[in-house]
This record gives sequence, structure tokens and C-alpha cells, in this order.
Amino acid sequence: MNTRSTRPLIDIENASKTYVTASSGQVHALERVNLAILEGEFVCVVGPSGCGKSTLLRMLAGLDECDGGRLTLAGREVEGPSGEVGVVFQAANLLPWLTVRENVRLPLRVGGRHEPADTRIDDLLAMAGLGDFGGRYPYELSGGMQQRAGICRALARNPQILLMDEPFGALDALTRERMNIELQRIWQSNRKTIMLITHSISEAIFLADRVVVMSARPGRILADLPVPIPRPRSFDTIVSHERYAGLASAIRGLLNAQEGAPND
Amino acid sequence: MTNTGTQVGADPATLLDQTEMSLDPEAPEAADAAPSTRRRRNRYTVDGSVIAGFGLIVLIAGWISAVRFMHVPAYILPAPEAVLRALWAGLAVNPASPQGYYLPLWSTLSNAAAGFAIGTGMGLLLGSLMAESRMVEKLLMPYAFALQSLPKVAIAPLIVIWFGFGDGSKVAIAALLAFFPVLINSFTGLRSTEPERIDLMRSLSATRFETYRIVKLPNAAPFIFAGLDMAVVYALLGAIVAEFLGAQQGMGVVITQAQAVSDVAGVFAALVILGALGIVLHTSIRRLEHRVVHWGRRGKQ
Ligand SMILES: Nc1ncnc2c1ncn2[C@@H]1O[C@H](COP(=O)(O)OP(=O)(O)O)[C@@H](O)[C@H]1O
Ligand SMILES: [Mg+2]
Repeated sequence: MNTRSTRPLIDIENASKTYVTASSGQVHALERVNLAILEGEFVCVVGPSGCGKSTLLRMLAGLDECDGGRLTLAGREVEGPSGEVGVVFQAANLLPWLTVRENVRLPLRVGGRHEPADTRIDDLLAMAGLGDFGGRYPYELSGGMQQRAGICRALARNPQILLMDEPFGALDALTRERMNIELQRIWQSNRKTIMLITHSISEAIFLADRVVVMSARPGRILADLPVPIPRPRSFDTIVSHERYAGLASAIRGLLNAQEGAPND
Repeated sequence: MTNTGTQVGADPATLLDQTEMSLDPEAPEAADAAPSTRRRRNRYTVDGSVIAGFGLIVLIAGWISAVRFMHVPAYILPAPEAVLRALWAGLAVNPASPQGYYLPLWSTLSNAAAGFAIGTGMGLLLGSLMAESRMVEKLLMPYAFALQSLPKVAIAPLIVIWFGFGDGSKVAIAALLAFFPVLINSFTGLRSTEPERIDLMRSLSATRFETYRIVKLPNAAPFIFAGLDMAVVYALLGAIVAEFLGAQQGMGVVITQAQAVSDVAGVFAALVILGALGIVLHTSIRRLEHRVVHWGRRGKQ
């Protein structure tokens, strides 16, 4: 159902990162990470906390420099924020002084862009079930609605690539499942290439074409597990799929072998 | 005290935000909380002014009894009637009359306002430059703190030498006093911007000025208003102090002239006018802040 080219849209070759801080000296965050993500693919990254997942994502977004290896997005080497990838942050990260519509429109009026494109913004808001909330301020929205607005904002420039750093980590379990279903729907209708970081094994299996498991610091890639479960998936049926239990215990096993393993 | 009211109002809404579990994504529970929050705050404000009014009555009663029953002499504490009479004499005149409060008040107020505008404008400008550039920060911060720890009123005589006895020195001293709170507060506020918000702007390849205008400045707004609140009172103080050092007109002159003839009631009346003016200025800044920083009333996002 997914037409994929064989050209990696996101290509990470031997990416390493060492932070140097005054307080704790050198922190070796990433060690020779290799990962290729094809166009239209949905990849979830799981790993113990502090293993460098956010670092990897920030380097792809051009927010942090990598100090070894090569990162390319759509064939172009990452040299800084390009404005071409959508980033969804852990907290919704909306600006409280702007209305929801102004927040979502922000990418269209900064960085040398002055696009009117208001129908596009309204379409995005409607798609995310926020059609009636464009004129509200973020504090008037629930956490789930705020995060949906954050996703709309990341989609405003219609980027090919979406990078998401634990976007639903702060939500309660039920809201989180609803958001996963909506994200799957958005991904299926928009054909984005998505790399999503999560702590939740069930979220990873539900969303991903491939689940990438990282080791404790310095982060390396331990396993790259395809999820051969047909879409659209639902939380009711996915757990009873013949491959689900095996995948979940494989991921849990890998994480448990690490220090400070998260549980679902 | 209005702050406490805001805090009280913020809690139920935040709770609602966190417990939103409804299966209907359109359900605007959180939004429903807004009107009740507003009602709550108003009730609190009324309580506050009732208490303040009660305090005023007690104060005046104490004043009257001190004069009537404890026989405090009039050259130390004039009777309230004497102060009222002096106030009336200053207020119930032709606004153009040199005997009234209007001309001196206008003179003091316009100098304080000019000083306020210049001082706070410079404070915001330099505070912004310091917040944006580590080099400017390193260059200016030591001087800012050195000047800050100097009692600035002590510089006033020097400024009078430089600017003369005209309006120039009044404006300059008012500006000097208004400058620091805004400098420090805007610097602190701009620097306190969450790194995640700056990352957001970077990920959109926003320019530095866009990040300043759209993220940092609104983030610093509550800090800047706190600075403006102090600055407005300091500007008034600066103008009066400059007038004490020598001036043709102004409320400072009204006070020194009354003092020269031991007209204590006249001094008190001028102080009442200045106190009322201070309250009006402070309240206007708070009103403006309430209007501009509309998002801060109900907690953070
Ligand atoms: N700016 C930074 N300076 C110093 N150390 C950092 C910085 N950012 C992250 N680190 C460290 O690098 C490691 C990986 O961090 P991060 O990528 O945020 O982990 P994760 O997202 O997997 O939890 C952590 O030990 C963290 O403390
Ligand atoms: Mg992280």
C-alpha cells in the first residue's frame, strides 16, 4: 500500500556526538550510528533515557552539530536548520501569546516567508479536529489539543520529513492512543517520512514500519525490527496480531538488557 | 495582591486541562472555565478595595484623634481640615493660575514623562543588546552594576551642573532613575526565554530579529512591565528631586515653598497630590500590562 522508492530520504552515516560540559566533562552521547530511512517510511526510535535519541533528532533538524559522520536529508548534507523539515517537540511548545491559528501559521511568516495561505492553515486545523479552536489561545486547549496544534504547525510548510521527539509523552494513556490513531491517519493521507522517538513500546509498534532500538549511552543501534502488521492498525486488533507479542517482547528484552530500561 | 487572585483563578483551569479525557475532541471543557475565572478575580478585587478603604478610615481616625486628643502640634501634624483646605485652595482655582496645583503638576509630570520615555526606551534598547550579544553584555554589565549600586540621587547635583536649572536636568534625572529597572528586567526577561522556543524558531530558520520580536520580547513582557512599574515611580521621584535642587516651577517647588514658610498643611497637601498621582501612574501601568500580557493570567501553557 505504500509506494516507496529505494533512495533513503534520511541517511545517517557513522554519526557520533560528544558533549563537552564544564560540570560533567565529556558526555559521549552517540557512537557511530547508521540509519537509513526511505521516503514515506515511518520509523520509531526507542531506547533508554539519556541514550542520545533527542541528540540524533536535533542533529537531523540541524539544531546540534554532529562531530563525526555524515547526515543527509533528501540527498543534501545537513549544515544547519534548513527550514525544510517539520519538528514536533516534546511539550507542544506553542507560543502562549499567539492564538492557535497564529501558532500554526508561524512557519509561513518567518524565515523569509510571507505566505498568506490561510485556507491551508484552516484545512490543517480542520484535519486535526481544531477547526473551531483557531481563535483560541493555547491555555484554553487541553494537552492533547495543544499537541495536535503542534503537529499542524510542523506540517504548515508541507515538509517531506517530520521529526518527532516523544510528542505524546506528556499525555495520559487514552489521549495518547487517540493521538496515535490520528497520527497514523495523517501519515497515511499525507505520505510524510517520519522519524518518531518514543518511550512506549506499544506506541512504537502501533505506528512504525520499523522500530529502531538504541543502546544505553553512548547510543548505538542495537536492532532494526520491521513491523509486518497491515494498516490501518487499531489498538483493539493490533495486540492480538500474531507478530505483536513477539515484537514487543523482543524490544522489551533488548531494552531490559540496558541500564535504566523503560517499561510500557 | 491581584496576583494572588490570578493564581487562585489559574488552578481549576489547569486541572481541567490535565484531566481532559473526553472522547469528543471538540469538547471545550477547558474553555468553559474562563468566565468563572473572570468572576472570581473581580470578586477578589472588590474585597481588596473594601479592605483598603477600611484602612484609610482607620488612618484618618487615628490622625484626627492624634491632633484632637493627643494635641500633636500643627507644625508637626496639621489637622485633616487644614490639609483639606490647602488642597481645596490648590485645586479650586483657574487651571492657568500660578497659585493652583495645575501648572506645577503639569511641569513635573511632563518632565517625568519625558524622562520615563527616554530612560525606559534606553533601558529596553540596551537591555536587548546585552541579552542578544555576550560581547555587549560583558562590555556593559560591570558598568550597569556599578551605576546601579551607586545611590543615583547623589548624581543629581552633577546633572544639574551639566544640564542647568531648566527642564533638561529634570528630564535627565528622571531618565537616569527610570533606566535601570527596565535595563535589568528586560535583560533578565529576554534571557529567560525557554531554549525549546528558540529551537523552534531555529528549526524554522527564522531570523534573529524574528526570534526577538515573536518569541523573546513577548516572553520578557511581564518582566519589562515590572520594570516599567518601578520606572514610572522612579521617574516621578527623579523629577521632584531635581526640582528640590532648584527650579522655577513644579510640585517640588510647591513643597519647598510651603516648607520655607512652615506651611506644613501645604506640604501635606502637595504630598497627597503626589501620592494620588503615583497611584494613578502605577494603576495605568498595571492596566496596560493586563491588556498586553493577556496570556499570562491563567498560568503557563
Ligand atoms: N547540550 C548538552 N550539553 C551536554 N550534554 C548534553 C546536552 N544535550 C544532551 N546531553 C547529554 O547527552 C546524553 C543524551 O541526551 P539526549 O539525546 O537528550 O537523550 P535521550 O533523548 O535519549 O533521553 C544525555 O546524557 C544528556 O545528558
Ligand atoms: Mg529526549
